[in-house]
This record gives sequence, structure tokens and C-alpha cells, in this order.
Amino acid sequence: MGLGQLERRVMDILWDASDESLSGRQVAEQLPDRAYTTVMTILERLRRKRLLVRSSSGKVHTYRAAASRESYTASLMLDELGSAPDRDAVLVRFAQTVSPEEAVTLRRALGASKKRAP
Amino acid sequence: MTLYVPAALLAATAVVLLGPASALLARARWVETAPRAAVGLWQTIGISALLSGAGSGLCVATERYHAGFVGGLGRLFEGLTSGRPLEGLGLPDALGLTLAADLAVVLVCLLGAVTIRTVRTRARHRHLVDLLSRRRHDSGAAVLDVRAAVAYCIPGIKPRIVVSEGALDLLDKTEVDAVLAHERGHAHERHGLVMLPLVGISKVFGFVPYARLAPPAVAALLEMAADDYAVRRQDRNALVSALVSMATAGALPACSFALTGGSVSRRVERLVRPSTSSARTVLAASGAALALLALPLAILLAV
Repeated sequence: MGLGQLERRVMDILWDASDESLSGRQVAEQLPDRAYTTVMTILERLRRKRLLVRSSSGKVHTYRAAASRESYTASLMLDELGSAPDRDAVLVRFAQTVSPEEAVTLRRALGASKKRAP
Repeated sequence: MTLYVPAALLAATAVVLLGPASALLARARWVETAPRAAVGLWQTIGISALLSGAGSGLCVATERYHAGFVGGLGRLFEGLTSGRPLEGLGLPDALGLTLAADLAVVLVCLLGAVTIRTVRTRARHRHLVDLLSRRRHDSGAAVLDVRAAVAYCIPGIKPRIVVSEGALDLLDKTEVDAVLAHERGHAHERHGLVMLPLVGISKVFGFVPYARLAPPAVAALLEMAADDYAVRRQDRNALVSALVSMATAGALPACSFALTGGSVSRRVERLVRPSTSSARTVLAASGAALALLALPLAILLAV
């Protein structure tokens, strides 16, 4: 299992825990096939990438997701749909939304091409 | 011969390329029959203008040595490496040279900063997609749990192709195959790399017509190039119906996003009525590109 896949499993665990903070030990318990130190490395990596937030109670560090899965998806889509300034980072998505009038024209063109199809 | 003559010629070339020539190409309709050649022409205009501008500046800088262009260039280089580049210059010359150098450094830094930011945003998007996608499509595309019908390609060394659950619900299998082939076209032909410098110059040199006109024009042409890539591999009609379904599925009565649907209709139109005479167009565009590259070099070598 690659590093990326392990990062995803760790994020899944913390997203499913929603607002609850988990210690490294608690995360590692849910990944019995991985060593504790590996899990800690991944947690720290994800924290440096600002996907996780760390808080300390006494000597124990606990981690939670910086934002929910839904809000990350939403931010990604917002970038896609063009309201964010960084939209050039991604190539124009397959088809941009068109106006209702243009939708009618397009549907008409589509009818023409279907008729021509064998 | 004084070097001010080629300097003026080169400066005029750069101005014509970045202004009227760019406006002309942005309006041209033939580009749709040969989108990849047209993209090449846009790139050549940029490179040729850069060569002309730099050549013009160097002509002015080397004029005072009265040693011709190549000889003057050698003397200029000697002056720079000796650590006393301004020695022997009058005040106006020294000021001009310093200002030009400062300006060049600032512009290069700005351009670099924009480019680095774009590359970083792309990397962040790729990482987020890897973390967020719960499953993969048979084609290897990452599936996002989003109701809106979207499909896109995040450029990079290992590009990611992303499709939403909404798109998979909306489209039938042949349509999905066509859409994914289109996105693979973006990835395979490295369209992200083509756009990278254009994104940078559009943000730094917004006052130059070329920097304003080239990015949207090239982006539209790259969509057409990816359409061509898809129809060489998948069903043409499926691509057209997918394009129409996805563009109209999101049609909102009062719209929140910038609705620049013009390019979608043009794409549908050229897919429904494929033209056959693109070989000659490609040849003409390539010839024009070569001539554009040769022009500044010819002016410099003629000195």
C-alpha cells in the first residue's frame, strides 16, 4: 500500500470521527496492519499540509480534520466552477454551463446530429 | 550602420505581434479546423515577440560600442563580468540601463511567482482529489461524490482525471467513455503545460493585448484539440450528446457562475459538421509560424 493510500485511510478515519479528536494511538488501533510510528509520520505529514489540526492535552497530541470531507469537496468544486481566483490551475472542465436559450439551440443541434447517425 | 535601425525594426515587430497580429488571430475562424496548429501559432507569436523585444533592447545597449551587434554583445558581456557594467557611461545611459535591468528582474520575479502559485494549486488539487475520491472509475478516473455533472483534468507530471457521480448518473456508458477520452486528451497532450506560461503573463502583463487574448483563445482551442483526440478513439455522437447534456444540465435560470457557453456551441458545431480541409490549414499555419520565428533572427543577422 502506497503512502497516498495510507494518507487517504488516515483521513477517512478522522473524517468519520467528525469533530472528535483522536490520538495517534487511537488512529493506529484502526490500522492494525501498520506500525504506530508509520501512522504518526502520516499524521504529521497531513498536519504540515494543513489537512489536520493538532491539539495537546497534557503529553498526548490529538488530531482532527481541519475541515469536513464535504467542505473540502465543496472548495474543490468552487475552484472548478470558476468563482475562485485559482481556477486557471485546472483545465476548463468538460463543458461550461450555458444559458437556457443556448441550451435550446444546443439540443436542436444534438437532434440534427442524432438523425445523421447511422 | 547604426544599430538603432534594427532596434526600431525589432521593436515595431514586437508591437505588431503583440497587438494587431494577436487581435487578428483571436478573431480568425479557420483556427477551429486546425486547433493544434493554431495553438502553435499563438505560442510562436509570443516567442517571436519576446525575441524581437529582447533583440531590440540589446541593439540599443550595444550601439555605443560601435562594434556591430555581435561585437557589441561581446563588449557588453565583458563589461558585465568585469563587475563595473556602468563604467564609461553617461548619466542617461547608466540610468536607462539600470532601470531596464530592474524592470526585467521585477517582471521575471512576478511571472515566476504566479507560475509557482499555479503549480502549487494544481498539486494541492491533485492531493485533495486523491484523498476525497471514495472510488475509481473502471478507466482509472477518480470519482468525486458531487451531484453536479463535472469532469476535468488536473494537469501535472501525473495528471488526475476527475469525474463526478452526477456526471456518471447523467451520461450513458458510451458518453462517459467519450468524456473521459476528452480528458485523457488534455492529459496526454500536456495542455496544462501549454497554459502555464499563458496564465502567468495574463496576470502580470494584462495591459498587453496578447496577454489578454491568448489565454482564453488557447484554452478554447485546447478544448477542441481534446475533442478531436476523443473522436479519434470514441464515438463522435456520444461526445456531442455528452457535451450538450453536461452543458445544459447545469443551466440555471439566474446564473451564479460566469456563463461563457459560447465555446460549447462552437465545439458542438464543429463536431456535428466536421471539416475536411485541415491539412492545408496546418501547413499554412506551420509556415506562418516558421516565418515569425525567422523574422527577428533575420533582422539581427542582417546587421
